[in-house]
Amino acid sequence: MPLDTSTYNLALLRVDGRRWNELRRINAQIRTQAAADGSSYLEMGHTKVMCVVTGPSEPGPRRGGVVGSAGGAGGGGGQSKDAEVVVNIVIAGFSSVDRKRRGRGDKRTLEMQSTVANALAASLHIHLFPHSQINVSLHVLSQDGSLLAALINAATLACVDAGIPMTDYVAACTAGSTSTYAANDESADPLLDMNHQEEQELPGLTVATMGDSDRVVALVCESRVQISRLEGMLVVGVDGCKQVREILDRVVREKGRRMIDEGTVEKGTGLNDMDVD
Amino acid sequence: MASLKRSLDSDSLAANISSKIYVRSTKSGKVQKIVREVYLRQDIPCSSRLCQTCPKSAPSDASGKLIPFVLSEAPAGTSSFPQGHYLVPDTNAFLTAMDLFEQDSAFYDVIVPQIVLEELRNRSLPLYNRLISLTKSEDKRFYVFFNEFRLETHVARQEGETVNDRNDRAVRKTVAWYAKHLAGTKAKKVPAVVMLSNDRDNLRKAKQEGIHAFSLAEYVKQLKDGEKLLDMIPDAEDRDDVKDKRPGDSLYPEYFSMSKMMTGVKNGLLHQGIFNVSPYNYLEGSIRVPAFPKALIILGRENINRSVDGDLVVVEVLPKDQWKEPSTQVIEEDAITKNENPDADDAEDVVSAKERKALQEEVKRTHSKTTEGHAQPTARVVGVIKRNWRQYVGHIDQSSVSQSAQQGRKQDTVFVIPMDKKIPKIRLRTRQVAELLGKRILVTIDAWDRSSRNPVGHFVRDLGELETKQAETEALLLEYDVQYRPFPKTVLDCLPKEGHDWRVPQDTNDPGWKDREDLRHLLICSIDPIGCQDIDDALHSRPLPNGNFEVGVHIADVSHFVKPNNAMDTEASIRATSVYLVDKRIDMLPMLLGTDLCSLKPYVERYAFSVIWELTPDANIVSAKFTKSVIKSREAFSYEQAQLRVDDDSQQDDLTKSIRTLMALSKKLKQKRLDAGALSLSSPEVKVQMESETSDPIDVKTKVLLDTMSLVEEFMLLANTSVAGRIYEAFPQTAILRRHGAPPKTNFDELANQLKVKKGLDLSVESSRALADSLDRCVDPKEPFFNTLIRIMATRCMMSAEYFCSGTQAYPEFRHYGLASEIYTHFTSPIRRYADLVAHRQLAAAIEYEPVHPSVRSRGKLEAVCKNINVRHRNAQLAGRASIAYYVGQALRGKATEEDGFVMKIFSNGFVVLVPRFGIESLIRLRDLAEVEPQAAFDAETYTLTTSGSRDVKVELFQKVRVKVTDQKDETTGKRGVKMELVKTY
Ligand SMILES: [Zn+2]
Repeated sequence: MPLDTSTYNLALLRVDGRRWNELRRINAQIRTQAAADGSSYLEMGHTKVMCVVTGPSEPGPRRGGVVGSAGGAGGGGGQSKDAEVVVNIVIAGFSSVDRKRRGRGDKRTLEMQSTVANALAASLHIHLFPHSQINVSLHVLSQDGSLLAALINAATLACVDAGIPMTDYVAACTAGSTSTYAANDESADPLLDMNHQEEQELPGLTVATMGDSDRVVALVCESRVQISRLEGMLVVGVDGCKQVREILDRVVREKGRRMIDEGTVEKGTGLNDMDVD
Repeated sequence: MASLKRSLDSDSLAANISSKIYVRSTKSGKVQKIVREVYLRQDIPCSSRLCQTCPKSAPSDASGKLIPFVLSEAPAGTSSFPQGHYLVPDTNAFLTAMDLFEQDSAFYDVIVPQIVLEELRNRSLPLYNRLISLTKSEDKRFYVFFNEFRLETHVARQEGETVNDRNDRAVRKTVAWYAKHLAGTKAKKVPAVVMLSNDRDNLRKAKQEGIHAFSLAEYVKQLKDGEKLLDMIPDAEDRDDVKDKRPGDSLYPEYFSMSKMMTGVKNGLLHQGIFNVSPYNYLEGSIRVPAFPKALIILGRENINRSVDGDLVVVEVLPKDQWKEPSTQVIEEDAITKNENPDADDAEDVVSAKERKALQEEVKRTHSKTTEGHAQPTARVVGVIKRNWRQYVGHIDQSSVSQSAQQGRKQDTVFVIPMDKKIPKIRLRTRQVAELLGKRILVTIDAWDRSSRNPVGHFVRDLGELETKQAETEALLLEYDVQYRPFPKTVLDCLPKEGHDWRVPQDTNDPGWKDREDLRHLLICSIDPIGCQDIDDALHSRPLPNGNFEVGVHIADVSHFVKPNNAMDTEASIRATSVYLVDKRIDMLPMLLGTDLCSLKPYVERYAFSVIWELTPDANIVSAKFTKSVIKSREAFSYEQAQLRVDDDSQQDDLTKSIRTLMALSKKLKQKRLDAGALSLSSPEVKVQMESETSDPIDVKTKVLLDTMSLVEEFMLLANTSVAGRIYEAFPQTAILRRHGAPPKTNFDELANQLKVKKGLDLSVESSRALADSLDRCVDPKEPFFNTLIRIMATRCMMSAEYFCSGTQAYPEFRHYGLASEIYTHFTSPIRRYADLVAHRQLAAAIEYEPVHPSVRSRGKLEAVCKNINVRHRNAQLAGRASIAYYVGQALRGKATEEDGFVMKIFSNGFVVLVPRFGIESLIRLRDLAEVEPQAAFDAETYTLTTSGSRDVKVELFQKVRVKVTDQKDETTGKRGVKMELVKTY
């Protein structure tokens, strides 16, 4: 077994060799499934998720085979003037080490569904699609920490792919602290982008911001941490979100460029501001 | 249609990301495969002060602080490397000779590759912790180099390569990188980078690759004064020789593989537990396993199969026809293996002829018995899960030393006899036999191969001449793992700046007074043993207008001075308790606090934590209140002074009257406890009187019980119980409490049978109440001590009380059996017990005096604290007792007295006598009875031993006997102890 997080102070190195302010490798693709309205695949380290978006479409019998989705509703009520964002998360049994199966009613999954829905609804122009529904279906293939952040990022990409008007990217990442809650170490370094082992041993939070701005659209902290450490963690997290936004943006532009090259999209249509060289 | 490409290919960083795959098995036996990412980088510094390149890319933390470089620019040289050198030890080097690295004379500037730290952590957590503290020490200059994360030193496992080989290769790569990197510094003298390993294969490969590499022994020989250090290295060649031996030479059965044991345990065919050696028979052990109500016995060397007391082992139950009774014979290692030669390992068989004979007799006796029901499930050890080896104090067995070794410096193999009789003799190779003879020494066990009759160890440290006060005291502290070194500076820095001049602020607006009640007007006094300096508690009482009484217990406010998680708190949590030896006290907290600022000394104002009740004249609680306070004790009484004052009717002042009130109330409280079933247990307690000048022991006195002692005790119990209820209410999951489990009924089987057979008395153990009552009935009108004797024996059947975190047990399990209390904790001695300090913090948070500190709510942390204090508490008690035993021996030195004693245990070849006057017990063997060992007939049914031949006596259990007590140096343990001879039976 490798060392644990307590050795950080020996050389300012985390359990996987990163520094405190480094993201893991993030890799993403959009339009992975041509049949869907929007789709994406995203990796943050070993955390791997897939997303498929359908809609906006008529509510009622759900499209895309998401039967009886108990997804949390975002954007204020299904029958209102705004479109309803319905998120459904499926966590594959093989995605984590202990291969625990999670049922549909799993509390944590329900909570994540609602958080993702609310975060997306903050950016999507749902008022443009009254009485309709946007279905976001997320599949978790592999888990190694920062799962919620990866889900939000993947959902953002898929919504971009689906062409749903939105204010800006919703980019998310996690931030933690290098010493445990009980150690009560005021001077502990904050950490960016926690992996599974760090999430197990250290306090952390997930933050999502609206694009380049400092506007926080989701903030989840499920561990106990001293209030004095929170500010540092949040600063690092928000900064991380900006880095994530850059990466997401690059993925979208790259895809757009390739689509133009391949002739899928005519040059100049809807992408006039894109620099093709 | 887009396909999901393997994303690694498209990433420019891909070359710098690697992953690590390893497999771990969980507690439940499942196997998990874990994949981890590893990010490779080039900004991991070499940390040499010679280097000019690394500082440019050295990392800083979030506040921009750099980690200073540690490896010296001019490291020490050796005969082969006059230019100076850095060391790179492999895992094996730390595993075998950690003591060496902790030396002051050598082993500076050491590079610890990350992979070595990792391997060490997996192999031994204690060694890992010792290495971590070395890396934190400023003068030793140990640097952990994260070789696995540096691009140049990262090594991928090759096809067909074992993990060990890969890790060895990683260490060599680190050495090679360092050598090349340092050569680039253009320093005048470039230090050599030297690998240390005891692994032959690794050394050979290093030589091939052109790396400096030495075995520990080769390296140490190059050092000045290296000869002495050589003894601290387990001999590699020695062990390799053993390996080369033919398989037929093995003396012990081979251990099962780990997976076979795990499967067996899971199926319930094998059992896992802690191996314990019988104090009277070194060839008999027992193991408690969850599957059976009674302990399994393990008899004989072969079945014990190299287990050492305390090891976590796996056993297999033997077929029923091989079941045996626990031995009724005393078998001591020295008596049987006295003349064995430590070099002679070529003995044909593990069981020597003499041992075999002793066992045969044992078996014959068991078989000749008509009653078959006595045989107990017997087992044999098939493997060891975890060794509990530590450092052992002992001395060299004079008889194992060859003549030539006593004079020269030739390496010799000798036996070390550990002070702890449960530990087998340890084979030791040393060049310093002549110097070490007659000394107390510290050794460790390195290995116990199948082909070696005894474990092999190495020398660690010389403690001094046997029987000198200093050596014996240190030996005792080491043996019980008591932290006795002076408090480090970081701890002393946490003390108040004012030192002894610290005062309770006069201005009541001072922050120190915030939420404190001013109780300075109350007539408070403390009652403690004579000469007590760390006064934890003080009391007061006064009548209330409604006829009830107000009673207050005031406890030193230690938590005001010791803040959670600072260096002082950490040190105290490790020490966990003060340790009281006859002539020495090892404090949990620095003196300044313990004996001055916290101590509730008379005539001065002190901060306190007070529990104040309203009690009815019948001692029923009307209300209880908890508050931080300021008090001024009016007097510090000794128990004796207080007793005199209470008994003297002419004293009618308010202070004396209040003590009398307390006395009356305490008697009622005690009666209530006894009615509820509290046990009055007993242990033989004595006090050693010292001459004040020389502090030599001059006499031994039995402790006298005074009413004032019970007065203080009752109110402390009341305070503890009240506080326990309050903190549990506030923190249902994390309150620190103390429980005392009900003893399993079977624990009393033997004692109950003995009482029935010998005295016709019944012992009922259904409840603590029933037990208390039946103990009260165990009286012998002719012998007042008989009742105490039975209480002493009953105490030994009990479980020991333990600290726990409330969330770990169900409420009914909180019960304190001995005190017959539903819930209990320790609150009243925060100066000398860490548990009390935690309880103080929890109570302070519960009454909203201060915010809850995370460390007192974190269940994981509290469980770790409880675990540590339970162990330390027990060790402190044992150390205290051992110290008394040593001084009793010293007090009796050169004297011979006749005393009355009682037979408390009986064997077929001896019996144990307890002498109440000295609180000591000792074994009298048959061969001690007369010049020629008398014949003996032992009746196990009636617990009677009848001797004939050279001496005719009949000894029965519980019998009163007259013994001559002299002092004697025990040749086995080197301890001065007490020897008893039977004068007559009554
Ligand atoms: Zn360097």
